[in-house]
Amino acid sequence: MMAAEDQGPWWRIIAVMIILIFIGMNLIVWQYSGGANFSEILDDLMMGFILAFGITTLVLLMVSVGSIHRHMHWREQIVGLVLFSALGISLSSWLYEGDMGSTDNAIYEIRLGGAMLFNALTAVLAASGLVLGLLLALITGRHHTNDELLELESTQGDVSLQIPE
Amino acid sequence: MNLNANQGSMEGISNAWLGFWLPLGLICITIGFSLTDRKDFRQRLIGLTLLLAITMLVLYGIETSGSDASEIALLAVLFDMTPPVSLMAIGALVATFSGPSPVGQLPRGLRPMGFLLAISGLIWIGWMLVEDPPGARSDGIGEKIWATWVLVFLSCIVITSTVSAAFCVMMGEKRNREALAMSSLALIGGGIFIRIMGQGSTDLSTLGWHDIYWDQIPFIIGGIAGSTFGVMGFIWLVYIAEKRAPDPDVVAPLTLEEKARVRELLEKNLTIKEEG
Repeated sequence: MMAAEDQGPWWRIIAVMIILIFIGMNLIVWQYSGGANFSEILDDLMMGFILAFGITTLVLLMVSVGSIHRHMHWREQIVGLVLFSALGISLSSWLYEGDMGSTDNAIYEIRLGGAMLFNALTAVLAASGLVLGLLLALITGRHHTNDELLELESTQGDVSLQIPE
Repeated sequence: MNLNANQGSMEGISNAWLGFWLPLGLICITIGFSLTDRKDFRQRLIGLTLLLAITMLVLYGIETSGSDASEIALLAVLFDMTPPVSLMAIGALVATFSGPSPVGQLPRGLRPMGFLLAISGLIWIGWMLVEDPPGARSDGIGEKIWATWVLVFLSCIVITSTVSAAFCVMMGEKRNREALAMSSLALIGGGIFIRIMGQGSTDLSTLGWHDIYWDQIPFIIGGIAGSTFGVMGFIWLVYIAEKRAPDPDVVAPLTLEEKARVRELLEKNLTIKEEG
């Protein structure tokens, strides 16, 4: 029997653990830096959310345009993604313009935000790849007794059926 | 040879929209091409569009080298991070395939070397924090992008390795050794994180690290939530499209000719032994 079946829903423990680590890391930085401005943090959270929503839907739009085919219900998908990406990017542009005062500065901030999100994506992929790669290497390193099912040879499709009366 | 025309095209490629964002868009379209049917003509364009995108990125990198644009700083950071990250990836693959792998097995003796390579990649990144950074990462936007990369990388190492250790304990059968290795990785990542927050690094003071943490990490967390929301929006659009699609037409029953053909194929490929 799997160990997970004995110990209840595993995802709750994992979710609590992630939240605790996250709070712990923030508390460490809080302790060292002597505090932070909550309204600025909320502003950054919101800007990141809106810009990433616009960029992600734009990326999905381009992938959808590249893979369009005759069996696809493309109208809903393409038109919806165009609307989502236009909404996300124009809303971020409007908010940045309100903060920065000019369209040029807003475009500069969008470019910087896009670069920062791409930067974070590569860091997340590198870190997850390292940890999960090492975990895979460690887990697959164990020797098991041979499985008799794996020893069976293929009949290359030559089968006979016995139909009971 | 028209030198002015050549100069004009080079000025074009030094524009971030043309030299950086357009190739990224081309890469997205190439991913779309790769999802098409094998016989589709777009399959033949994959190599071409990918090569074009990479050439444009390389030309942009060469043309704008040393500038303080966010895109060129990002390229410089990614270029610097490629060797240690490749080392980690190659190490993990070598360690996996030199174990008791059912496919593509490598010599067993390579396994310790695989782990060594993977850990060397991590040590390399740690060493980059204590040595003087090159120009592209030493100040301005380059420094900000580099510091953000390090903070996200370390945070992700701590979270994923702790979660992996918990999985080993909860889901695995006596996976204590694996859980211990993952916990050690989390401790190393956490130790580096606490050190840079408490003492700073060679090029960046603690104040700089704290500013970047409070400015960029909330932005990136919001970004992760926004991306997830965007993907959910995409799934919703596909769901709506499928739901609105008309029911497929009723398929006509087989004709006598088709039935005979099916019977012929079945008899040819199956030997039916009747009991009794």
